[in-house]
Amino acid sequence: MRRLIPVLLAAALLAAPACKRSKKARVETVEEDNQQLLTVINTGDPRASVQLLKGFHEIETDGWRWTKGAFSVTLRTPPNAARTGARLEFRFTLPDAVLGKTGPITLKAKIAGVELDPQTYPQAGEQVYQRDIPGTSLPSDAVTVDFELSKFLAAGQVELRELGVIASTVGLLQK
Amino acid sequence: MTGSPATRFLWLLPAAASILLFWPGIRCWFQQDDFAWLALGQGVESTSDLLRALFQPMAQGTIRPISERAFFMGYFALFGLDALPFRITVFLTFLVDLWLVFRLGLRLTDSLAAATLAVLLWGVNSSLGMPLAWTSSYNQILCAATLLGALCLFTRFADTGRRGCLAGCWIVFLLGFGVLELNVVFPALAAAFALLYAPQVLRHTIPMFAVSGLYAVVHRMVAPRVRTGPYAMHVDPVSLVETLKAYWIRAFGAYEIELLPVAPFFHSLGPWVLAAGTASLALFVLWRLWQRNPRVLFGLAWFLVVLGPVLPLRDHLSLYYLSIPTIGLAWLAAWATHAAFQRHIVIGLAASLLLAGYTATSGLVARSVVNYNLARSRQVRNLVLGAEQARHLHPGKTILIQGIASDLYWAGVNDNPFRLLNLRDVFLVPGSEEQIDPHPELGDPTDHILPAAQTLEALRKGTAVVYSFQHDRLRNITKRYTAIAPSSLGTGLSRRVLTGSSHFSSQLGEGWYQPEGHFRWMAKHAVVYLAGPDRSGQVLRIEGFCPQAQIEAGPVQLSVRANGIVLPTLRLDQPNERFLHDLPLPASLLNEPRLKVELELDRVTTPDGRPLGMPISSLSVR
Repeated sequence: MRRLIPVLLAAALLAAPACKRSKKARVETVEEDNQQLLTVINTGDPRASVQLLKGFHEIETDGWRWTKGAFSVTLRTPPNAARTGARLEFRFTLPDAVLGKTGPITLKAKIAGVELDPQTYPQAGEQVYQRDIPGTSLPSDAVTVDFELSKFLAAGQVELRELGVIASTVGLLQK
Repeated sequence: MTGSPATRFLWLLPAAASILLFWPGIRCWFQQDDFAWLALGQGVESTSDLLRALFQPMAQGTIRPISERAFFMGYFALFGLDALPFRITVFLTFLVDLWLVFRLGLRLTDSLAAATLAVLLWGVNSSLGMPLAWTSSYNQILCAATLLGALCLFTRFADTGRRGCLAGCWIVFLLGFGVLELNVVFPALAAAFALLYAPQVLRHTIPMFAVSGLYAVVHRMVAPRVRTGPYAMHVDPVSLVETLKAYWIRAFGAYEIELLPVAPFFHSLGPWVLAAGTASLALFVLWRLWQRNPRVLFGLAWFLVVLGPVLPLRDHLSLYYLSIPTIGLAWLAAWATHAAFQRHIVIGLAASLLLAGYTATSGLVARSVVNYNLARSRQVRNLVLGAEQARHLHPGKTILIQGIASDLYWAGVNDNPFRLLNLRDVFLVPGSEEQIDPHPELGDPTDHILPAAQTLEALRKGTAVVYSFQHDRLRNITKRYTAIAPSSLGTGLSRRVLTGSSHFSSQLGEGWYQPEGHFRWMAKHAVVYLAGPDRSGQVLRIEGFCPQAQIEAGPVQLSVRANGIVLPTLRLDQPNERFLHDLPLPASLLNEPRLKVELELDRVTTPDGRPLGMPISSLSVR
């Protein structure tokens, strides 16, 4: 029995947390009051995730996301956009790791079903895709933009995920 | 051998270091399989239910009434979803393990220093990370206690001849079968001890072999044989040797240390520890054998005997399977170090340097495993208890959750923890499956996703609230989600109908009664509308429950037609059991936007005047 004394002492020490603890953990939710859609989305902002409809991977530690070959977002239209139009701006990075395997990539976009002029990117690095959108394409408070890359890394080619470009921001700017 | 009474406390020093290393594990919450075990008691209404819950083979044919079934059911009944009592129990058992490693180490090596060192070497092994952070792997910690405890009593019997020790050994040995199937190897451990240390008690292990043999036969008869997937057994010699090699590499604790954000020095240290450790142990064993001291083989025997049963699992290498086998290596390495010091101080210091390298690298990996599990389980806790809070704020409404990443899904949604809080109608938003890596062997994420049409309808009626899981908290995003939903979600039929949920009533045709819990009774004939398969090879899955009263007059036949095409007829004959049947769908139904599924029973009962067919819980094309 004496041999058990150290075990019992250590056990008492270990069990001590149970004696001085609060009641069951309670987790509060956040009931947001400002629930407007965003006109410009930073893909690293978790609040924007609801507007990233499809084709985006999880947020990376530095606050950006990989896209897949096709991806879509919903954006709030800027004030008076139906009258004055707006500018679509998509900022992204084309990594060497992708371009080295795919060659030049062409980005196509469609806003509210209307196709925009595509653009080809032959070089790696930070890029921007800008297009003026007429007010007739922005009649409502929110609009969906569909993007499509001509080439991307298929799932399993480099890693398990399908990889397109590194998306930073996408938005509709007031003109 | 044990020195002064104060030496009885010596093992507490390495034990304290080990407990400190794994301390974050005591704050872990539940995850993955934990929820399945916690829910086990929910269906228990009678003694036969309880016996079934305790002893029916589950999850790859496992039967662990003590370490899993009774542990989870009993503690859940007492403490609910408070994880701390579970965690304290795990750590207390681990403390007993450490003490037993010390006690047996004393007996095996006849050295206080070696026994104390063995506690440290085992107590920092990274294979313990998972068992000390994930409650479902408590079986490893408790099995270590029963194997060590039974062997400790057997050695006492060998040393003293007291029959009480042998009786105690038998009791612990028999209880061990309720802890983990691995207990079957105990007679081999006892025999190895007897052969090397006390041949006069070898004959007492013979009845133990008989019991283990009987257990193995019975287990094989009642547990389903797994022939495919990660739990399939591969017993060819090449495969066994390859698996043994893989486990040997992991046993030195630094496996995949290169993935950790630590100084590069530690990345390069891991392979050195493995190489030098392997060479040192081999030299020590050969040296002792050359000195005609075969007792040195016991540590290796322990490692091989305890690891043996998992070696055929070639496709399921798990670090925590090493948590008990590495006890043998800890004894061996501690003994070798002690012998090195006895031989020459320089050799002893070299051995100490090697052990320091092992302790540092294994400790780093162990801590990262525990920290990872702590962070993940905290996420699960915030999701589950957050959903409870959301239900409190929005009673009666369906809770839709957005932003669930793949890892969190498999840790905290797939096993449906919400049922433990009686939270029905908690779903992920449509499209969530895009973020979730497929693991068909674990489950289908679409089971937890509300289809697009049902989501739109619920939002339109205002019967759903939408939360996004961000920064480990649930945030209400109902307004924003409702604003984008009409443009982003389709309105076609769903491929899945949960009959008990009001969200799916628009896809039910004639022949259904009001929902009762997760089920809805069908009449003799019932109709469901589903979207057709979108790829070849998909099946129609029918899930339900077969009450005894429905088949008292004999098995019931359920015939099924899809758009008029006759599918195989089902025979329902297992009383009071859930059923799940997959019926192949013909290629001609591919991409059909609307599939009319007709169910027809050959017999019904009329206990309350209504023709009652069978309670059905879901139909799906998958």
